[in-house]
Amino acid sequence: MQGHDAFMRVFWPTDLPRSDVRGVVVGWRNSALDVFVLAILDEVEPRNVETALQIGTLTRNAPHPVSRIYELCGQSSMRVLGLANTPESVEVDSSWIRVTTGPGRRVPAVTCARASNIQIILFERPLPGRMQYISLNPIALALGDKKGSFRHDSPESGDDDDEKEERIRKEKKRRLVEKLKLHSVFNRVPSAKEKALPKIVNQINWAWELEQLLQKNVSRIGTRSKRSQSVSERVVESATIARDMMVLWLWDLFTFYVLPVIQRLFIMALMSHRFAAELLLTVLEWRLRPRYAALKDISATAQQVEIRLQQFCYWPMQYVTLRLRKNDWGSVTTSHPDYIRFYNSLWLVANDVIIGIALGSYIIDNSTWVAEEISDLLSTYTVEALQSSISWLMGWPAGLKLNSELALFLGDLFLWVIDYWSSCIELLRPVLPHIIWFIGFSSFAGASMPIALFSDLLSVLTVHIYSFYLASARIYHWQLNILISLFHLFRGKKHNVLRNRIDSCDYDLDQLLVGTILFTLLFFLLPTVVVFYLNFAIARMAIISLKAVFDTLLSCLNHFPLFAIMLRVKDPRRLPGGIRFELRDTQDFRLATNNSPHPIPSTSVIYLKVRTPSLPHRQMLTIEQSIPLNFKAMFHQYFQMGNRIRKHYLSPHVVLCLLTGKFVPPLNRKNLYSLQYSMLPARRAGVLEMWDAVNSLPSPKRRAVPIVVPVLANGKRLSNNGGRIRSYG
Amino acid sequence: MAVIGWAKSGLIANNLDHRRQNAHHPPHLYIRRPSPTTAEYTVTTRPPPSLTLRLALVSLTTLRLVLFLVALLLLTTHLSLLPRPVTQHPYLHPLLASPPYQALVRLTGPPLPAWAFAAAACAVLYVCFAWQLHTTERLLVLRGLGIQTSTTGEGVWGSWRPATRFIPTEKIRDVLINEAFRGFEVRYYLVVLVEGEEEVVVVFPRLLPRRRIVEAVWRGVRGCLYEQGGEGRGEKG
Repeated sequence: MQGHDAFMRVFWPTDLPRSDVRGVVVGWRNSALDVFVLAILDEVEPRNVETALQIGTLTRNAPHPVSRIYELCGQSSMRVLGLANTPESVEVDSSWIRVTTGPGRRVPAVTCARASNIQIILFERPLPGRMQYISLNPIALALGDKKGSFRHDSPESGDDDDEKEERIRKEKKRRLVEKLKLHSVFNRVPSAKEKALPKIVNQINWAWELEQLLQKNVSRIGTRSKRSQSVSERVVESATIARDMMVLWLWDLFTFYVLPVIQRLFIMALMSHRFAAELLLTVLEWRLRPRYAALKDISATAQQVEIRLQQFCYWPMQYVTLRLRKNDWGSVTTSHPDYIRFYNSLWLVANDVIIGIALGSYIIDNSTWVAEEISDLLSTYTVEALQSSISWLMGWPAGLKLNSELALFLGDLFLWVIDYWSSCIELLRPVLPHIIWFIGFSSFAGASMPIALFSDLLSVLTVHIYSFYLASARIYHWQLNILISLFHLFRGKKHNVLRNRIDSCDYDLDQLLVGTILFTLLFFLLPTVVVFYLNFAIARMAIISLKAVFDTLLSCLNHFPLFAIMLRVKDPRRLPGGIRFELRDTQDFRLATNNSPHPIPSTSVIYLKVRTPSLPHRQMLTIEQSIPLNFKAMFHQYFQMGNRIRKHYLSPHVVLCLLTGKFVPPLNRKNLYSLQYSMLPARRAGVLEMWDAVNSLPSPKRRAVPIVVPVLANGKRLSNNGGRIRSYG
Repeated sequence: MAVIGWAKSGLIANNLDHRRQNAHHPPHLYIRRPSPTTAEYTVTTRPPPSLTLRLALVSLTTLRLVLFLVALLLLTTHLSLLPRPVTQHPYLHPLLASPPYQALVRLTGPPLPAWAFAAAACAVLYVCFAWQLHTTERLLVLRGLGIQTSTTGEGVWGSWRPATRFIPTEKIRDVLINEAFRGFEVRYYLVVLVEGEEEVVVVFPRLLPRRRIVEAVWRGVRGCLYEQGGEGRGEKG
């Protein structure tokens, strides 16, 4: 009957201690021929181990609830899987495995009576104490809960063309995928072994902690008698106990009387800050009408303040989650990405403040000089350069014979506005050092603040260029449109608005005459308008790219995956990017097994003669490794943002807009900043939620409880208390 | 039906448009199957081992090593990184003082700006270190676990560590052969349809071997990946 089903899978930790004494292999049995080895218990009787596992002797003194293990590993109990280094003569259950290991043997030799071929999958156990773990999917550095909410927002903003385009493309792709599904002819029902994979990943994560627990409790299973202690040992023991009691008593005093007061004060301060933050956030997010832009959508500073406040609101919640992690087994890996995110944002803010202090003290010390430089730059580039370029355009630039009257008119108009604007700037000049001083002072809140402020200052101080651009673009666009429709008239056609097409039309002679004259006139005036338009469009593009540089700087300061990169260098196993298998040669495996006296069948070579039970073994080794997250995945968000910017500004659509004088819409701030919000939840926790969360933290008392238990007088009360809290956590 | 025609879809064209074909040697297929439940299919441009190949490889490796060391030495000489006791070492000193080396130092010296030389030396170092001669792509099939694709690229940018992707069996919707237009030819290639993913996974994406190889791999995967019971029923039915 075992003919076709006799394929066995053994998961084996490579870092299991290798000894050649007799032992019992303990682990999970995921299905009949799918076993996961946790530990080898030396020098014990298999029967005793079986009963001990059933009544839970081996999981006694566990620091956390044992049910959690079974729940996450997906099995109801650990089992005896087989025997290690036992002679063939011993009768065993047919589903048990026989393992031969030893100090010189890297890979164990596994045999099983019921299996005709075996997959041994070796893995290195991740250490939960160091927060290493493996996972099937790459660790998510960004918070994944806001996909939906952003999609929700996009129809509201409406005008975003590329967003719409992207949605259409996605929809198309979805339909293709639907079609693809029809190609699969039949749906296979996955076997038990295939379905076990997610469970097995959990079991690998738990392997280290469980082995420690089992080995700690081995002494409880009878066979070894405990040696009684000598007098000196007893003296040492009682001395250490006395010292520990003393320390504990002091610690207890501290945690009981001092710590709660400090904690209370801290929570109070935190909550008052939270109220202030809530107030500010409401101001920043307030919109006159739902469609209108809020303050944070207009100004980079407001946006920056908002990001910081949001982070501030989110930190206590994150901290609470991380604290609750301590109350659970170290092998529960769900909160590890949270840990990385929390410390990443803390580190970024600390970095930001450090850089900010340096920058701020520099700006404050040199505020007059900086102010002078800035006003010089302003007058050179936004006033004088503009004036000179306009005068150049007015006098037949580059030999281009423009219409002098129109050029004079337009140039005078713009020059007049620039004059007015420069007088405004002159008014501003004495105040500028104070503004600069203020910016420098603000940078003590982080280097991102002055950058955001400078970005805003830039947009305020170049308002005139923006308005020139708008005005000239509008004129140019009108003229172009009129020219197009007159050209249709010239050809005897017209644009049918109802059907959106070009129809032929019978014009009267006078209509044609006037139209043609107007067409000629406007056509000859067009170059003059074009040069003015181009001038301002280029200036506008320069400002936009400058602001893009500021924004990139901001996003680097706010979102750089610093902590993740540090972890990648320090301990790559903390950033799992998936798993990988490696097929090992069975060649050296055979060589290793051959020189043992044990009759390990060296039949692993004859793998082509299959399925005869007399040839019990074809062994195969794979190594399971956790691959670290690659750098591309770490900077995924940046690539996305770069893509978005590129798509928005370097698309043919924008070039067309520029050519026809349509307004080039700036990239939606929300789109650009989705990167910065990717580490924040879509909806921030309210004040009350935060209050609950902060108060739900277990009191530090409970950690001391299990050790204080020996104090007989109040031991009972305390342990009761401890038990209650534990079940609550 | 072994080959399911499903061409001209944007999905596939996206996956294929930036693949390069290695012209200098047609890819080979090697199969490693230590047990019926596991198989590894390797497609590589490395020609089958022969004496000339081995000699060529050895000479190339020595050349690379020499070039690497010379670039390193020149770099350290120009930036004067080596402390005096090292340069005066009896083994190193004759080499540093030898006329060819001095000529090299003079050649890469002052008229060439220091940063340009440093950049060139670093580029040479990197190329010597990371240049890969062959492209190797693997498909590992593990019954009960899933399949894994891995790619090591040719050239400077192909990394030494293979880029792997593991797909659990539960997630595999189907494995099939597809055809697509690529320039003026039709290519057959193996794809894995993954549950809940928009992109299909192309196996051997860089080499895109010929149909004969692809079919052999496809048959092997079908035979190896699924348990015998299900497969048998499928064939009978």
